[in-house]
Amino acid sequence: MEYLKRLDRYWNKPRHAAYLFVMPAMLIVLLFSIVPLISSFGISLFEINTSLSNPIFVGFDNYSLALRDVRFLNALKNTLLFTLFDVPLQVIVALVIAALLPGKSFMDKLMRAVFFLPIVCSPTAIGIMWQIFLNPNVGWFPYMLTQLGLPKISFFKDMHIALYSIMFVSVWRSFGMSMTILVAAMQGVPQSLYEASRIDGAGKLKQFFNVTLPGISGTLWFVLITRIIGSLQVFDIVYTITGGGPAYSTETLVSYVYARAFEQSSRLGYATAMAEWLFLLIMLITVVLYTRMNKQEALDI
Amino acid sequence: MRMLSRGLSGTLKWLFLIFIMLTIILPIGWIMISAFKTEVQIIRYPPHYFATELVLKNFQTLFKRAPVLLYIRNTVIYVVLLTLGQLLVDTMAAYAFARMDFRGRHVLFTILLAAMMIPFQVIMIPLFIELSAFRMVNTYYGLVIPRLVSVTGIFMLRAYFATLPAALEEAGRIDGLREAGIFIRIMLPLCMPVLITHAVLSFNMGWNDLLYPLLMTSSIEKRMLANGLANLVGTDSTEYGPAFAGAVVSIVPALMFYIFGQKYFVNSIVSSGIKE
Repeated sequence: MEYLKRLDRYWNKPRHAAYLFVMPAMLIVLLFSIVPLISSFGISLFEINTSLSNPIFVGFDNYSLALRDVRFLNALKNTLLFTLFDVPLQVIVALVIAALLPGKSFMDKLMRAVFFLPIVCSPTAIGIMWQIFLNPNVGWFPYMLTQLGLPKISFFKDMHIALYSIMFVSVWRSFGMSMTILVAAMQGVPQSLYEASRIDGAGKLKQFFNVTLPGISGTLWFVLITRIIGSLQVFDIVYTITGGGPAYSTETLVSYVYARAFEQSSRLGYATAMAEWLFLLIMLITVVLYTRMNKQEALDI
Repeated sequence: MRMLSRGLSGTLKWLFLIFIMLTIILPIGWIMISAFKTEVQIIRYPPHYFATELVLKNFQTLFKRAPVLLYIRNTVIYVVLLTLGQLLVDTMAAYAFARMDFRGRHVLFTILLAAMMIPFQVIMIPLFIELSAFRMVNTYYGLVIPRLVSVTGIFMLRAYFATLPAALEEAGRIDGLREAGIFIRIMLPLCMPVLITHAVLSFNMGWNDLLYPLLMTSSIEKRMLANGLANLVGTDSTEYGPAFAGAVVSIVPALMFYIFGQKYFVNSIVSSGIKE
């Protein structure tokens, strides 16, 4: 009895109880993310296909092969270009809308609900929808453009604009998510701060920069970092809309990895090695941003 | 002058909002209407946004071709388990990371962050082999358990927990609450809005998940809606109608859950306001 009480008192201290709180999450991550990650590194050192038979050890050859592979470099370029436009665009649109519609009035909520609609659409539905809506032969939008005297545009078939069309669909699909998170953060900013700044004579715009932005900076960093990670891993809408074409102009890193692993002449080891390169890239970018975030948070306090 | 500029910025605001709204409503409305069009009307040129006659034929074809009801049932079971499980696991972790000081906090949080950076395609094959070894393939718990941690969710909840006043725990301890009690009785009720947001996001993630359930369910009895639909579109890309109908079937339940979440969202804010 005495022992149980002591045990209980031990685990009820915040600095001990914390381990019980984080344990389920950490265990799951360890078992189902970290362990597979380590094994995947092993796989990347082999020449092996999906049947998993006759693996040949090749060391780091798969890694150096990727850097000489034109298709890999093209996919890398597409992914970086995609991220460069996709992330700022969707974060800015989300931020502007959140700032314009932060309230709890019926109108604000109704409009926010409309902006969230694309999030509930599955990638397959989005693929079907945009492919046909922008189809130059049966789509409504290209037809309306021709009515305005503009040329007929093949949004997903023209290799010079297909990647930008995909970017548009990506922004269209995801900004509602960032908006929702930012609105939740804005509603958490204490009203007293706004009142104080109003007494100081600050206008709406000034309030936004002096009160709202610092108040949500943690969340804004969160949105930015997760969006960058998401963009660098873009796969499903490419898969359902263009499948990487035309002429690989929309092929992203993950699309190429997927194709290498599961389409004809499967090369699991090589595909995994390329995925590891992507992982390294994502890690590098995130670490840089995360340290900047911590620095800024420290300054704010 | 001042009123004029205010009127102008008001007009700009609405023009911007209406423009964004149109880009959302037009394609979604178009696919919803087209799902009820005949094939002839779908492929006619010039295209008409609205249809002269609406038919249910596309839905009949869809339900005849694939066990859609079974897909929906599977998806609902998966998604409900996933949403509840994620809420539990994520809030617990986020709470500790936000408000408790413990050794290794930074290391553990960095591990979580690192896990978020792993592209799923990197760990897909080893994960499948691992789950086969645990005999978890083709089971619901096999589908759900590896997905229970949403690092983005933890990140979001942590940011919210951190904004709550520091005196809360002290007050709880003075009232004789244990750590778990402080978490359940004080913190969780204050977090309702963000919890609802998290639930909506988890539901949505599960509902629209494409690759993961495909990989982990080899039998057709366990297949989810998104995969079933993708298969259907893949095998029959020449006919648009059933594909549109499938898209509508996949959108509507998620949409209803979101609308429900919105309502709850409001209620939770109102009720927490009354308690104060």
